[in-house]
Amino acid sequence: MNRDDKGIFNALAGDRSDKADELHKVFRELGVNFASGVPCGVLRHIIKNFDDDEAVLHMIANRESEAVGLAAGAYFGGKIPVVYMQNSGLFSASNDIASLLVPYKMPVFFVVSYRGCEGEDAVQHLTTGWATERLLESFDLPFEVFGKQNLETLIRSMFETIRKAEVPTFLLLKRGWHR
Amino acid sequence: MKRQEAIEVIMTTINPRDAVVSTTGLISREIFERFDSERNIYVPGSMGLASSIGLGVAVAQPTTRVVVIDGDASLLMNLGSIVTIRNKQPTNLLHIVLDNGAYASCNEERSMSETARLDTLASDVGYQYVRVVHSQEDLKRATMEFGQGPGFILAKIKLGGRRDFRRPLELAAIKNRFMLFLKRPTQGD
Repeated sequence: MNRDDKGIFNALAGDRSDKADELHKVFRELGVNFASGVPCGVLRHIIKNFDDDEAVLHMIANRESEAVGLAAGAYFGGKIPVVYMQNSGLFSASNDIASLLVPYKMPVFFVVSYRGCEGEDAVQHLTTGWATERLLESFDLPFEVFGKQNLETLIRSMFETIRKAEVPTFLLLKRGWHR
Repeated sequence: MKRQEAIEVIMTTINPRDAVVSTTGLISREIFERFDSERNIYVPGSMGLASSIGLGVAVAQPTTRVVVIDGDASLLMNLGSIVTIRNKQPTNLLHIVLDNGAYASCNEERSMSETARLDTLASDVGYQYVRVVHSQEDLKRATMEFGQGPGFILAKIKLGGRRDFRRPLELAAIKNRFMLFLKRPTQGD
């Protein structure tokens, strides 16, 4: 992307977030150098940080399944990937997670915005919101809902888990997580 | 030319240093049984993603040539991938589609490739090298002549052939050897 286009691309991302910056710093310290996903407003600071960091190969995907495929390929090629999406997209990509990442034992870190939980004002998110944790539980994959935890400790511990177990993991971020 | 002949031509024509990503169903199963190698990655589930996985490998390993062996129905399932491939312009990616106009790994139900003009789409979207082939000779030539990617070869094949292939099951081991293959420095070229 042309650097001059950044302002348009990130029109909503005027404010920075210390939390998102901290998350990015921990990702980089853990070796993350590839990111792909489908944008969600809740994740805008995270996406902007991927976009602004020349050391991260960042590829926007057309849909969430594609992002899973791109991350898998990048992982084969030696990259350490993060995949981001809204939880609605987690359902679109669920078979790809289950039939590609799980049997190939790929420790891919997912950042997933968590719509459809308490305070949700959009009805289209209610069913997937209700089912999100149930989906991940039914796949027997590790996940964390971010709340009061220390962000750095949490991320480091999640990476340690998936590097040992060679499975994908999911960090669920609710609206306002970044404040 | 059936799937068997097309796969034979591709797997014996490409460079031994090329990585291969093959799509779901009989294409992967045939390659696994007849041409298994550390350079291969099979996509037994997640139908449609072979080209995305291939693109991921190609951008992560720009000095390795990546050959994606796709099917018509699996490409149609993830058609946006050709837009992403053009956007990233991986010169090291050759995307071959074996087009039999059907979901041949199921019960040969018809796909919509007959009216899809996949080669025109690839060309319009901006693949650098696009060929349509109907014979083994032409497929061999198109594969050999491929230089700067992203490249697209639409290989029109007939239905039929063996179906009783083994399945790749030890995927973690296949991953590990593929990752070692990609890490090895390229020699000479």
